[in-house]
Formats: sequence, structure tokens, C-alpha cells
Amino acid sequence: MVYSKIKLPLSASIVLLFGFVLLSLQLMSTATQESSELSELYSWLLVINALGSVLLLGLVAVNAWSLIRELKKKEAGSRLTTRMVSLFVLLALAPAAIVFYFSVQFLHQGIDSWFNVEIDRAMDDALELSQSSLTQRMNWHIKQTRQIANQLENKSDTLIALELGSLWADSGAMEIAVFSSQGQILASNSVNPNEILPTLPDKQVWLQLKQNKEYFAFDHSDDDKMTVRVILPIDHIDQSRFLQMLYPVPLRVTDLADSIEFAFIRYQEMTFLRDSLKTSFSLILLLVLLLSLLAAIWVAFISIRNIVAPVKELVKGTQAVADGDYKQQLPVMSQDDLGFLVESFNQMTRRIARSSDETRAAGMEVENQRAYLETILANLTAGVISFDASFHIRTANQAAYRILHVPVSHFVGQTLPTLIGKHSELAEVLGTIQRLLEKADDIWDQRIVFLGPNGRQELLCRGTPLFLQDGSRMGAVVVFDDVTDLIQAQKNAAWGEVARRLAHEIKNPLTPIQLSAERLQHKLSKELQDGSAEFLQRGTRTIVQQVEAMKRMVDDFSEYARPAKKQVERINLIDLIQEVEALYLPTGIIFSAAFASRHVLVEVDPVSIRQVLHNLIKNAQEATTGQCKIDIRVSKTVRNNADYVELGFFDNGSGLQNEHLETIFEPYVTSKAKGTGLGLAIVKKIVEEHGGVIWVDTSYNEGAGFVIQLPVFEFGNHQ
Amino acid sequence: MPNCVRTLSRCCLLLLPLWSFAAAAADYGAQIRYADLSRSDTGLHINAAIDYPLSPTAKEALLKGVPLEWRVIIEIRQRRLLWNSVVSRQQLPYKLQFHALLNQYAVETGREHTEMFLTLNAALGYMSQLHGIDLVLPLLEADADYQLAVKTQFRREALPVPLRPFTYFDPQWYLSSAWFLWSIPK
Repeated sequence: MVYSKIKLPLSASIVLLFGFVLLSLQLMSTATQESSELSELYSWLLVINALGSVLLLGLVAVNAWSLIRELKKKEAGSRLTTRMVSLFVLLALAPAAIVFYFSVQFLHQGIDSWFNVEIDRAMDDALELSQSSLTQRMNWHIKQTRQIANQLENKSDTLIALELGSLWADSGAMEIAVFSSQGQILASNSVNPNEILPTLPDKQVWLQLKQNKEYFAFDHSDDDKMTVRVILPIDHIDQSRFLQMLYPVPLRVTDLADSIEFAFIRYQEMTFLRDSLKTSFSLILLLVLLLSLLAAIWVAFISIRNIVAPVKELVKGTQAVADGDYKQQLPVMSQDDLGFLVESFNQMTRRIARSSDETRAAGMEVENQRAYLETILANLTAGVISFDASFHIRTANQAAYRILHVPVSHFVGQTLPTLIGKHSELAEVLGTIQRLLEKADDIWDQRIVFLGPNGRQELLCRGTPLFLQDGSRMGAVVVFDDVTDLIQAQKNAAWGEVARRLAHEIKNPLTPIQLSAERLQHKLSKELQDGSAEFLQRGTRTIVQQVEAMKRMVDDFSEYARPAKKQVERINLIDLIQEVEALYLPTGIIFSAAFASRHVLVEVDPVSIRQVLHNLIKNAQEATTGQCKIDIRVSKTVRNNADYVELGFFDNGSGLQNEHLETIFEPYVTSKAKGTGLGLAIVKKIVEEHGGVIWVDTSYNEGAGFVIQLPVFEFGNHQ
Repeated sequence: MPNCVRTLSRCCLLLLPLWSFAAAAADYGAQIRYADLSRSDTGLHINAAIDYPLSPTAKEALLKGVPLEWRVIIEIRQRRLLWNSVVSRQQLPYKLQFHALLNQYAVETGREHTEMFLTLNAALGYMSQLHGIDLVLPLLEADADYQLAVKTQFRREALPVPLRPFTYFDPQWYLSSAWFLWSIPK
């Protein structure tokens, strides 16, 4: 079974509420009338209205508390609701308070105006006049009664009965009666023939009679007629007799007296109730005000919440849109202006969502293009650095880092002079690029040679200034490539060609020359005289020695130019180093070694590497005049994401001059008198044939320092 | 523990005005001095003496013409285990009013009878005596216990409208008596 909740429309609820409030107030107002049947329910109605006020106050308080909580939580629409409710309360409260104040003032003044000294005095005088009139009438009747009583003194009961009729007839009384002190009726006469028995005094009258011996008073009969009752004693010999006479008070006098008494009593009552009246009416006014105001404020809360609800939804929707949720659609609650606003919001979000999707798609396309470009740049072998208009680095690729050995991408946003300050070894190349960037207005090419951390490097740089459509400069792009190896390869090829030609063109005639010289010596030495023979011997020996020297030189060239025929083996480099060291121990060279590990496996041609070590040691030996000391250091390093062994070779010789640093590894470059100039060239050739690099450690100043890096197969962790 | 003491003392402080209010109200409430039953040939009759010590405010209101009304309530209750049920209920209304013109006090009873008195004491004396009020007896169960209850109730709702709300908060207007109970002999 489906239960459906019956919910009244808001407007009907409001009408009902105000209906109840008005009905309750009307009932209370009616109950204030003494004559109303609701008069007896006045207190209950007052309590019900007070409870209604408390209930409404509670509802308003709950709503206010709820609003304060929403305000603290900064919920959407709470501030607008607060503002509207505050405004409403202010607008409703101010005039209501003013009306209440002046109503109470008028009420109090109105009530006060009912009373004044003149009316007080008039009332008192009127009452006194009435009382005087009645008293005068009473006194007259007492006098009449006393005269009759005197006439009946000391007479027998029979005589009294006989005379009573005539006496009564002259008196004008309604009734006359004589009774004993025990209440026994002795004689009586009455105007009303139906009343056989006279109206005897009741217990109260008897009591007073016994005390005062006489009684006179006004009697109010049940039919609102007033009579004067006079009872006086009659002197008698035996026992006391009482004469009772009832005199009628004229109806007009009775009415006037009652009217005056009613007015007086009413006035007295109002005087007594004066303060109560003021307070009571003020209380009712206050209740009316409270009920009306609280009901209005409560209805205002509900109405304003209903009005603000779409705004609240709009705020939430706007926040959602601000947070990037463009799919936000709000329910259209009404067909009024707010409904139109909500519908417009929905249209706006639909359009934003569509635009956002398009923008996102376009952005993704751009991003893909950028990523593609970055990938290409990153994988270029040439270094690429882009600059902005003020020559700050904007981007740099991995190749730039590889060539310059500086993570240029870490210096994005900085200028080249700043980079020079941190990396002085790049001062020459970066300074040159900076100068060219500042000067050139067109594409420029420049070959820049500098001494990098790995020795001499030669860069081929191409700079392109970038311009905006309006012709202003927006930056520049510098592309550079490390052509050191290329140049070196070209040089090596040239030297190899020279060596081959030397071997072919020079070495071939040398043997006949040597043989011819030796034959001349052999044939002519016996035929010549001593002096000439000695001259010939010296000449032929010189020829033979020089031919031998030339042969060695040609052999060296051959060796240098010979293509690599490597017998690659996996050996422990440390063992090889120590083996070579042992060979030179008898020569007096002092070796000091620092090995990061004693287990360094490399895949090399042992003969070639041994020659490298020999050449380096011989080079050190030849460069040292005194005690030769060689420091060999072996450590692990990483180069281009691959493990390398770094072999440092430091001697205490004369060192290298700056002018030789760039060409030290080229053939026939030597600073020594005895060297052929091929030793280091061969070393470099062998190292490079093994996939390694060699450079001069320029930071070492106590002699010559060479650093070789070779690919390592395994570098042990233990020493 | 100190919290309990503090709470208790606060409750006492709150109850103190109520207690003093009740004490002040009791000073002006009517008092039933005695009440008994008498039997005659016509049935059972109630005799009672009730004092009406009027408060100064009530006296002033009376002299200013405000009529004061009481009703003497006579109930026969059957005693039960948990509560007593009212078997019969009689009311004797009294209305005391001052007549300024005659300077007399009128006591109006429910029998549409008005007695006039020269003094207030005489009027109150008249009201205080209940002699031979016939007790309307329903059919009573022989083996049940019955109780007679008498009370004089001051009718605030008969006062002028503006005065009524305030009489509930003024001990001088607490003029009713407590219930006077006694068992009806079987």
C-alpha cells in the first residue's frame, strides 16, 4: 500500500494560520465583554493565545537558529535569507512597535479620562442624596410607627386587634402586625387580602431586635420592590409586644435609587479596576502584536526560504561551474522571473560545457603537438636552447645538457651570464653565444672551441632570432652540435692516410738505402785508408741509424694508422693495472693506488689497454725529471645512463701547458724533447676504440692528469 | 557531588517563591472548621461551619462593588484502590455583594434568595453556617467505602474580566478552602 503525504499548499497554510490567529484574537476580544457567553473562558483564551505566542516564538527561534547555523557554515543563500528576514523584521517591527506604543498611550489616557474629581464628587453626592432621601423617608415612617405604638401602649391584645385596623388605614402602610416577643402574631392587617399571615421577621431580624429592641431597614424583595420595615416595641404590662409596619417605597424612587446605586457601584468598580484594566488591555494588545508579528515573521521565514531556494540552487550551481563542473543543470521550480533566470543559467552552462569540450579537445591537440615537438627536441642529438626577448632561457633539451654537461633545463628563466657565474668552465662558449644573440639580427653560424670538463670540445652553433608579426623580437633559438668527435675523426683519417703513404712511400726505399749503405761499408772499408775508412764508417753508421729511426717512426705511424684488430676479453682491470705496475717497479717509479673496488670487470682487448697504460707511464716517466710518482685512481661513474669505470692517472711531472691542452691528443704534438708525439694519440685512439673517452684533468695542477672512462661490465661493491 | 548540591540548592531557590506564595495564599483561603452528617426522617443532612477570612484586597474589591462568588462543593466519593470516583456532586453557590445605597451586604444563594446584612461579619456569618443541607444520595453499594468531601471554591472567573488574570498570581485572591474529607458510616 502506498502512503501519500497530504501537503497543503504554502499559501493555504499561511491563510489557515492567520485565520486561526484572527479567530483566537477575536474570541479573546469577545470574551472581554462581561455579557458575553465566552466571558467565563477569558482566562483560558488568554492562556491559549499566550501558548500560541510561545509556540510561534519557538518556531521563529528554530528558524533563526537554523539560519545562524547556515550562516556559520556559509551555506549558499544564507546571507541573502538573513538580509531579507532582517529587513522584513525591521520593517514589520518598527511600525508595529510605534503603533503599540501609541495604542497603549491612548488606551491609558482613555481609561484615565474616565475618572476625575468632579465625577467622583458627583457620584458621592448622588449617592448621598439618595441615601438622604431614603433616610428621610425611613425617619418619617419610624415616627409614624412610633405614634401608633404609643397609641397601643398598655392595651389588651383584644383592644389592640380592634384598633389596629383603623390605625393602619390612616398610616398608608402595606402591612401592620403586632406579635409577641416569642413571635406569636396577635393582630395584623395587610393591603393584600391574599396574604393571611404577615411577613414575619427572619432570624437575623430577630437577633437584631433582641439586641436593640427595635429594627428598621429597607427590604429588597425578590421582585425588586423596596419596602421599609419598621419594628418597634409596644409598652405592655405583662410582656413586650412588637409592632411591625411595612411601608412601600414608590416605584419611581426605587428605580432612581437603584439607578444611582448601579452607576455608583459601576464607577467604584471601574475605579478599583483602573490599573487592572490598563494592564489587561495592554496585555491583550501585546498578545495581538506578538501573535501577529511572530506569525508574520514565521511566514516571512518560510516565504523567503521559498523565494531564496532557486537563488540558493543558482549559487550552488555557480560554485559548481566555478569548480569546473559545466554539466550543472538546475531544476526550474517556477515560471516566474527566477524560473527564467534558472532556465538562462541552464542554457549558459550547456553552452559553457560545449565550449569547454571544444576548448579541451583543442587544448589536447595542442598538448599532443607540444609533446610531439618536445619528444623530437629531446631526442635530437643537437642541443637546442630557446630564449625570450630579454635572453632568459625558456627551454632547453636533453642534448644541451649532454653537450654542455650542465642541466640547462634547471636554469630555465635565467640568463646566460647567470649560468656563467655558476659554471665558469662554460664562460667562453656561453659568453660567445650571448654576444651573438645580442648582436645578430639574422641567422648566424659559429664554430666555438672551448675546454670543457671532458677536455677540448668543438661546437657548431646556429642561432636564429625570432620575431613577432609586428617585427618586434620575441626571442631566439640556438641549435648547437658537438663536432669534436667528427673533427677528431677527420683528423685521424687524415693522419692515417699520411701514415699509410709514409709507410708506402718512405719505408719501402729505406731498406735498399740501409742495405746500400751497409754494402758500401762492407766493400769500401778495406780499400780505403784509415782516415777515409773511418769517415765512411761514421757516414754509413749515421745513415743506418737514421734509416732505423725513420723505420721506427714509420712503424709507429703504421701502428697508429692500423685498423683495430681487438681480441676482446673480460678481464679485471685492477689485475691488469697491478701487472703493468709490477713491470715498472724496478725502474723506481712510485705508484700510489686508490681503487673503489678490486673487482672491476671490463670487456677490452688486454693488449691494447696494456699499451695504453704503458704509454701513459712512459709519458709520465719522460715528463718527470726527478723521482717519478704516479697516482692511479679507479672509481665508478655513470655516463649517458650507463655504468663506466673512471681511471684517473696523475703524475708529478712538468704538467701540460695551456697551449697544448687542445691538441695534446693529436699526433706529433709533444712538449717533451724525446717523445715522438704519438703516445697520447695512440692512447686516445685505443680508448675511443673501446667506447671510452679520455681528457686532460685541468683541475689537477701538480703535474699531468688524465681521466679515462671505459664501459664497465661489473663494478664490485667491495674493495 | 558539589554539582548535585549546587543543583539542589538552585531547585530550592526556585521553589522558595512558590512555597512563600502557597503560604501566603493559605492565609486568606476559606477554612472548613467542622462538617458532619445528621440523620433525620427525611434523610441525611450536612452541617458545616466555614470561615471566610477575606484578604484586604478582596475586602476592598467588595466595598468597591465587585461581587465575590463562592460555591460549596459537596461530593460523595467511592474509595477505590488507585483513585476515588465521584458518585454524586452538589454545589451551593454564594454571592456576596455590597449595596452602597443601603450600606448593606447582600448574600445571594442559589435558591434565588437574597439576604441583606448590615455588617460584613453578619453576611460572612450567614454564609459560614450550613445547617441541614439535604444530601442527595445516589444508590450506594452496601459493602463499598464512601467518603464525603466538602470544599469551598472561590470563583475567579466570576470576577470582572480585567481582574481575572491577575488573581491567579496574587495570593490575596486565593480564597478557596482545601477539601474536607470524612468517611460516611455504613
